[in-house]
Amino acid sequence: MNTTRVEASSLVDACKHLGETGWRLATIAVADSEAPELRYIFQGPRGEGWEQLVVRPQPGSRTVPSLTPSNVSADWFEREIEDLFAIDFVGHPRLGDFVLHDNRWAEGVGPMRPGAPIREALVERAWQPRRVLREEGAFVMPVGPVYAGEAESALFLLETVGEDVVRAVPRLFYKYRGVEKLAQGRSAQDALLLVERANGTSAFAHAWTYCMAVESIVGINVPERARHLRMIFAEMERVRRHCAVIRAIVDSTALWVGASRLLELEERLLRACGAVAGHRYLFGLAAIGGLQRDVDDEALRSIAHEYAEVGKRIRVTVEELAHTSSFLDRVQRVGVLDTRHANEFGAVGPFARASGVASDVRQLQPYGGYADVELEVPTANEGDGYARLRVLTDELRVSTALIGRLASHVPSGDVRSDWSPHRGEALGWTEAPGGTSVQLLMLDDDARCVNLRFTPPSFRNWQNFRWVTEDFAFQDFPIILSTCGLSVAENDR
Amino acid sequence: MIARHAAVAALGALLSAAMIIAGAAAIAHHPIAATLPALPFLGAPRFVMTPFSGFFTLFAGLVAFPTSIYSAAYLERYPRSSKAWFALGYLLLLLSVVGIFSAADVVSFFVAWEIMTLTSSALVAYEWHDRGRVRAAIGMLVMSEFGTAATILALLLAAHPAGALSFASIARESSAISMPARVFIALLSFFGFGVKAGILPFNSWLPRAYPAAPSNVTAVVAGVLVNCGVYGMLLVNLVLVPENAALFGGLALLFGSLSAIAGILYATIEDDLKRMLAYSSIENLGIVVAALGAGAVFLSMDRLDLAALGFGAGLWHMSNHSLFKSLLFLGTGAIEMRAGTRRMNALGGLARAMPLTAFVFLIGVLAIASVPPLNGFASEWLTLETLLRSAEIAPAAIKVGFVLVGALLALTAALALTCFVKAYAMTFLGVARSDAARDAKADVSRAACAGMTLLAVLCLLAGIFPAYVVQLVDAALPGVLHGHLSQVLLPPFLAANGGGLPQAFVHDFTAIGAAIGTGLIPGRGLVLLHRGAAANPVVFAMSSTYIAAFAGIIVAAIFLAILVVRHRRKSAAAIWVGGLNPHLPEMSYTATGFSNPVRVIFEAVFDPRTVEHTREAVHDHFRVAVTRQREDAFIADRLVTEPLVAKARSYAVSLARMHHGRLEGYVLYALGALVAVLLVSLFL
Amino acid sequence: MNWFLRGVFGGIRTTRYPKKPETTPGTTPGFPVRAEHADAQQRSLTLVCPTSALVESGDAVDVRDDRCVHCMRCAPGVAPSPLTWRYDPQWAHATRGTIEDAALGGTFRRSMHVRVVDAGDCGACLSEILHLNDPLYNMHRLGIFITPTPRQADVLLVVGPVTEQMRLPLLEAYEAMPEPKRVLAIGACAASGGVFGPSFTSAGGVADVLPVDLVVPGCPPPPLAIIDALLALAGSRAR
Repeated sequence: MNTTRVEASSLVDACKHLGETGWRLATIAVADSEAPELRYIFQGPRGEGWEQLVVRPQPGSRTVPSLTPSNVSADWFEREIEDLFAIDFVGHPRLGDFVLHDNRWAEGVGPMRPGAPIREALVERAWQPRRVLREEGAFVMPVGPVYAGEAESALFLLETVGEDVVRAVPRLFYKYRGVEKLAQGRSAQDALLLVERANGTSAFAHAWTYCMAVESIVGINVPERARHLRMIFAEMERVRRHCAVIRAIVDSTALWVGASRLLELEERLLRACGAVAGHRYLFGLAAIGGLQRDVDDEALRSIAHEYAEVGKRIRVTVEELAHTSSFLDRVQRVGVLDTRHANEFGAVGPFARASGVASDVRQLQPYGGYADVELEVPTANEGDGYARLRVLTDELRVSTALIGRLASHVPSGDVRSDWSPHRGEALGWTEAPGGTSVQLLMLDDDARCVNLRFTPPSFRNWQNFRWVTEDFAFQDFPIILSTCGLSVAENDR
Repeated sequence: MIARHAAVAALGALLSAAMIIAGAAAIAHHPIAATLPALPFLGAPRFVMTPFSGFFTLFAGLVAFPTSIYSAAYLERYPRSSKAWFALGYLLLLLSVVGIFSAADVVSFFVAWEIMTLTSSALVAYEWHDRGRVRAAIGMLVMSEFGTAATILALLLAAHPAGALSFASIARESSAISMPARVFIALLSFFGFGVKAGILPFNSWLPRAYPAAPSNVTAVVAGVLVNCGVYGMLLVNLVLVPENAALFGGLALLFGSLSAIAGILYATIEDDLKRMLAYSSIENLGIVVAALGAGAVFLSMDRLDLAALGFGAGLWHMSNHSLFKSLLFLGTGAIEMRAGTRRMNALGGLARAMPLTAFVFLIGVLAIASVPPLNGFASEWLTLETLLRSAEIAPAAIKVGFVLVGALLALTAALALTCFVKAYAMTFLGVARSDAARDAKADVSRAACAGMTLLAVLCLLAGIFPAYVVQLVDAALPGVLHGHLSQVLLPPFLAANGGGLPQAFVHDFTAIGAAIGTGLIPGRGLVLLHRGAAANPVVFAMSSTYIAAFAGIIVAAIFLAILVVRHRRKSAAAIWVGGLNPHLPEMSYTATGFSNPVRVIFEAVFDPRTVEHTREAVHDHFRVAVTRQREDAFIADRLVTEPLVAKARSYAVSLARMHHGRLEGYVLYALGALVAVLLVSLFL
Repeated sequence: MNWFLRGVFGGIRTTRYPKKPETTPGTTPGFPVRAEHADAQQRSLTLVCPTSALVESGDAVDVRDDRCVHCMRCAPGVAPSPLTWRYDPQWAHATRGTIEDAALGGTFRRSMHVRVVDAGDCGACLSEILHLNDPLYNMHRLGIFITPTPRQADVLLVVGPVTEQMRLPLLEAYEAMPEPKRVLAIGACAASGGVFGPSFTSAGGVADVLPVDLVVPGCPPPPLAIIDALLALAGSRAR
């Protein structure tokens, strides 16, 4: 990773230059030991790597110029940092009430700062939603934070005059568990547990990202067998998670038979994971230096076969859905995200790929063993609910085929390298099921976690949600929500 | 000051009590007649109260009496306006109404009519310092005068063959009226009186004037004055020129049903309670006129039984509308007194502060939404059913017409339910959406409550004992129809011969009716039923009395069940809103929001004008405001009044060019006029 | 119509549990069992355990169920001398008295409504709860239903460590429920805070906020274990 130090005053221009040459903002990290130091990490175009701009605010001040007016994809990063580190971004139009809700926490707590008086800042006070719709009889329809049957906790404020919703604003972070803060001071191994459990449905991908960062800090190579198996498990997780999203889409259109069938297929995938890896959600499988446990090659092949079989059935179901007009009517042309917005707001993963942004870190900055495998990255251009469904289905096909190819010749050997502590800082990245997951990790001499910046794909995609939900009919809301396939837990961390 | 309010109220109550007594006496065949001293040129005005006009007078009195009592409290809203002027206008208005209903010749009818028109417009503009209200009153006056002119023309045309202006002589010679004249009479009288009755297309004054007037005036305008329009239509086309039945029937069915659907559509999307009720008046009078039209068509085919059904349904619905509409207007007045606004978007949750108003308003709302066992249900049921009976008449084209009208009215009834669920829920339930609504702490004063309660009781009684009202309506039906309604509608066990129904059926109903009717509730006729002709042997039966009893039992059972279950499961927590704390007023449904689906579905009818639609954002991406404003101009305004006014303006502009100020030009005009007069006189 | 027919002709795939045990591999990750006479290597597992779920007591290694987050460090295939793991679905334990004391009983045996509240869950527990609707598990056959409003709920099923910002919504949901009511904590986070709590933004499990009746540990507990706990609350669990 290329590191450049820039002055706060020239930051905006430097970022603008990178943005114009095809680099996308991947995350903004803060190292806040004595004085805060901000790292703007950019992801290069295909064939390029990562670029880091380091900025220090003026001594004694906690303000930096905001990138948001010139690069909107920085919007949520800056809002998050403002809440968590109490760093002010000058020129940002909308700070406050983000991670820490205004009705529970006092302004300017900055819980990620060392020694911040966090619990003392708890308050109970009124909060008013921001409203933009000015029309006779306009009102806000709140959905959440506790809603539907088994939905994740999040609040959506739908601005409407009835029937037609002008926009839906998500208010997230009800589930803020402070993974990044909790990781500070823990051993590298224990912090892995936190990262793994930040989002149970993409646990392996995030664990791999983390392990990748640790491995490049301590400077070890992962055994060939583990590299291979990691790809297999990551793709298994992708297939299962895509199946769950497809099921949620079908469920939201009230097509119970299809939804039940997909639920059953998803359970078969979970059982396959459980049978081969010992855990249905692949917890405790990834380890620094490789994998925590080895798996039987024969079992792996039979599981690959099971995945191929289930994958085929999922595709058959989706094929049947494509011939069900009542289903198509409800997913086509709803929740459209156009390519321009997807690009500007830094969307990632299948969510972006359905809007014509072919961003897949497995292809752009290959890691693990992905440089050696042939990879097809399906995309679509419409950016509507149906395009997202098609991209998910195609990816599912690609992934099951990849699992089959990988499982047919697994190299033999160890699955774990030994490692010894080393201080340093490194970036880890993977293509999680939901999109690019980026982690910037800093370890000290005892391999204790000094600083962890964890940017999951859902965080970057939720930013786009407000474009997906402009001017839609109220009854389409659950469908739009489900087609986006965004995880609240992953976003809230 | 209080004494003055009370005096106005007492005078009004006295006069309306007299109206009730006179009306009731007339219906009971004790006609009252009076001849005033002769006037120069116009002869001696003569007034006769027939059973037909007695019916109108009775209900005018039944509306005016509670309204007068209510006024004692309501007039407190206008501390600076003159009570004496109000009293003068109000009493003159009531007197003129009596005059209209009992006039026996053209001149006295129109003298009374003009007094009514002028005083009502003056009362609408009671708050004369408010320009908007004055404009509404002037609009009402202008449209009414055009209507009056048309109706004068119609009556003069009708009086032409008779050569006399008394109603009796016109009716005697009506067969001598030529066909083209009859067409003119039908058109002029229908649209002329239609202005007052609130029938499309000349009713745009109504949604403006109703909200402008004080609520007690609106109650009288809506409960009594619109009936004058209906009276006029019937007087000309049924009493004076009965040959016009078919013509009138066709017009009434078409414009009645269109008024009904247009009225209820605009009522549903309306936010202002009073304007919503005004549109709803258009709807209800549309139903009334459509039912009367059906009766007229049946009459022209000499189906007296069906004609009695149609006219009966129409008159019945009209009287019901008078009761519940004036109740609702009084209720709105009460809301305005306490919450200071009648915008439903700014109301909400008033039931806690104003329990009695909420309860009587609920009765009114249920009645107007035609929910059994309230009075609106029985008459609307009968209206729809009359239209169904068209299956018995021959020409297919007429049948199709009836079916279409029936479908429109059915849609109207469904929308009415939506509309009034909204009206009640948005006003009385949920959370207050404005500080004014939150600050409403107490119910209105005793006099106001008494007025509203009286009307609510009348609605309830008229609903539960429809058979009595049927007899009243029947007695009022003019001429040939008289007596048919009871015969058709009241249960066969009351008729000596069993009404021509199968014996077993008669026996069953006799048993049920007799058992319940004699045992529990005094009186007879708890079931309204009648039977189609041989070709259509369907039995139509309805009893809001049984429905009331049944509903009572169910409600009691539910209460019992709640009492029993309460001990097992209870939760005293605040309403559950998804864990969102606190639940803010702006997060509850608004009236506009509730009715927006209707607005979206019927977009083609409303044809809204987008006044403003802007989106503002900072840095292109952060929405700060989406401003939208649209206007739904009333369809009569959009299609009739506005183009007419525009046309009139442009003509006025071109006529104004004649005033060019050159002498020779004016001489030329004079010469031209002289030549024209000479030519005309030569040819005539 | 097509979809209906496909549903009908799909046949019955539902598990026979609880009448017959479910033994398909992968339905459960298993759970460590207390080792009575632990060897030295087993005792050293207490140092490896990241959440102190394993504690030495005498010569035994005891498992504190609530704290286990399925890190798998003491599992067969990972640890050189692993603890014994059990694979039955009966993971639930009561917080006061016995499991039977927590049962609602009576008519709830045949119909019990559950409101699920996500108080900071990672998605795994919620996914397992979702699978209760799966045709393979189908909790409806057992008279257990998920309801969207706590007003009609008999059981409050809580997942997640209870984050600070979910504390009030959770309390409101509990207060909105009519008596009698039960609280069921699902998963290690809800049981003890798991890897997250207690912390500056999370409570140490649901019990810190509400009176909990029944706890199902595990990270996440599999659908069968959740069904078992729900049946226990309904009062119809097989003995």
